[in-house]
Amino acid sequence: MRLREYEAKELFREAGIATPKGIVIKYAEEIFGVENFPCTLKTQVLTGGRGKAGGIKFADNADDAYQKAQDIFKLPIKGDLPVAILVEPKVVIKKEIYTAILIDRAYRGPIIMASSEGGVEIESSENIQIVPIPGGNYNPYLGRKMATKLGLSGKDVIKYGNIVNRLWDVYTKYDCDLCEINPLIVDGDDNFVALDGKIVINEDALDRQPRFDGMLGEHLTDLGEREFRGKMCGLNIVELEGNIGILCNGAGLTMATMDLVFHHGGKPSNFLDVGGGASKSHVARALDLVSSDKNVKVLLVNILGGITDCVEVANALKYYKETRPEANLVVRLVGNNEEAAQQIMNQAGIPMTNVLDEAVKKAVAVAA
Amino acid sequence: MSVLINKNTKVIVQGITGGMGRTHTALMKKYGTNIVGGVTPGKGGTEQDGVPVFDSVSEAVAKTGANCSVIFVPPYLCLDAALEAIDAGLPLISVITEGLPPQDAVKLHAAAKLKGTLVNGPNCPGIITPGECLIGIHPGSIYMPGRVGLISRSGTLTYEIGLGLKQSGIGISTAVGIGGDPIIGIDQIVSLDLFEKDKDTDLIILVGEIGGTAEEDAADYIKVNIKKPVIGYIAGRTAPAGKRMGHAGAIISGNKGTAESKTKAFTNAGVRVAMTPSEIVELVKAHIPATV
Repeated sequence: MRLREYEAKELFREAGIATPKGIVIKYAEEIFGVENFPCTLKTQVLTGGRGKAGGIKFADNADDAYQKAQDIFKLPIKGDLPVAILVEPKVVIKKEIYTAILIDRAYRGPIIMASSEGGVEIESSENIQIVPIPGGNYNPYLGRKMATKLGLSGKDVIKYGNIVNRLWDVYTKYDCDLCEINPLIVDGDDNFVALDGKIVINEDALDRQPRFDGMLGEHLTDLGEREFRGKMCGLNIVELEGNIGILCNGAGLTMATMDLVFHHGGKPSNFLDVGGGASKSHVARALDLVSSDKNVKVLLVNILGGITDCVEVANALKYYKETRPEANLVVRLVGNNEEAAQQIMNQAGIPMTNVLDEAVKKAVAVAA
Repeated sequence: MSVLINKNTKVIVQGITGGMGRTHTALMKKYGTNIVGGVTPGKGGTEQDGVPVFDSVSEAVAKTGANCSVIFVPPYLCLDAALEAIDAGLPLISVITEGLPPQDAVKLHAAAKLKGTLVNGPNCPGIITPGECLIGIHPGSIYMPGRVGLISRSGTLTYEIGLGLKQSGIGISTAVGIGGDPIIGIDQIVSLDLFEKDKDTDLIILVGEIGGTAEEDAADYIKVNIKKPVIGYIAGRTAPAGKRMGHAGAIISGNKGTAESKTKAFTNAGVRVAMTPSEIVELVKAHIPATV
């Protein structure tokens, strides 16, 4: 779950990382409460690239700021309208640095990643420095080590080290996947200030992070309609562009089924992993979700029951067929309780196969 | 012979009185796994499915001589349970739990490394040596004993391949479900190495998927260290970039983790790559005659 800039900065300030003294406005008129000009108006959206898209503007006085605030509130960034504008006094920038803490998959642990070229897309920076955090045990020397790598010296080493110490506190306290300051600036008074920030909270950890209760729905980005609804009801769906709806159990088998549909010349409408041990109602919900896209011509159901009971799936399919007799279903159901499931499917008049390739070819033929 | 587990493995179940623990203790026992005890703090002295329950792992180990633990506890209790098992000196633990927060996974694997504990998972189906021992949630009847080693990041896809092999009369020595998370313990390389040394494994199937660079690393390792034939498969070759495909680890980030890169690495290492699950079985058949 990605936080917006103003929410990330709130966590930074609480941890002792300085940020510009900004205010958050939800209506353009609130700009008249701002006293310090010139100021920066920053749209609060969840997508990157907002500066280039016109979501960050500078204003010299209240009237100018009011006009610009009205414009920003109306301007969607990659389809995302702002929930607020962060208004901050314009700052003097002597130096810009990129700094982040995140887990490195190959290293199997957290790392500090930084660059002396702040403000840029980190992917395009050729100056990336890495300091691994051994065994996930952070100690302040690691922050100072990074300071030296960035070419800082003297008091700046201490100041920068303190920023990393506090960033580590935020990273661990809130189960972050990513804690990023970009840019971290050195201002006119030689203080280190977080000018922009990005925090991603790990979604598996949300249930032990009460601070973010109920916030997930308003912090999801880049999701299609079915993906959003799926996420809110615990169904793992990825939208694709074809006309064969896929419902399968287990991530690997679902991917393999999706690949097989392409392999046999068809186009999947989605990836949906119904998970292990799904109940009838869970499967019914998944069937509804998959078929809610009007392009879906056929539903391909592939279940290999390990902990999943095939009878639960069969009952959901039977119910689905009763309520939508016109729907095209191609079903492959094997494993746990397969025989009993077969009987239910026979009664419901739904043909079933136990060979995966056959099922996929049939679905492709129906959808063609 | 086999790798990691066999008929002499003495297993305890952590979280034996929970829903998952109860269900799968019964299934593992039925399969023939030697379950010697269970652990649920506060329920020591009771029994579950005829298995004695202990308050702590160290007590269970002292009283039963267990040398393996399988963990079925909820995600936020999982780190504590795994650390307890590592501390008790068990050489092998299998973490079935899905949804372990990554920062917990880091701590778990760091502790295991210090102590030299082998950790299977998390977010995995466990390990099965057909006919001898099952730890985890594999449906036992889907596999038959044989001489093919199976390594996979996925659960149900592993069952699919096991079933396909069985229908062709081919059995497996051990199937290791290594797990779908970005950070796992026993990985492709550790498993490959074990199968290479196992005199009862003739061929290895390596089932990968998009995300990360573990398959590329495994390919480099195979090139130098593995003499036995390896057959590879990558799930998710048609997955869109930037989307998490079910598993926490199955995501193409930027240009990293693509099926193309993995397939290329496999091919360069002399690994035959199957394009579909049934093709895996065909490729195995070319190497190994059916046993029935």
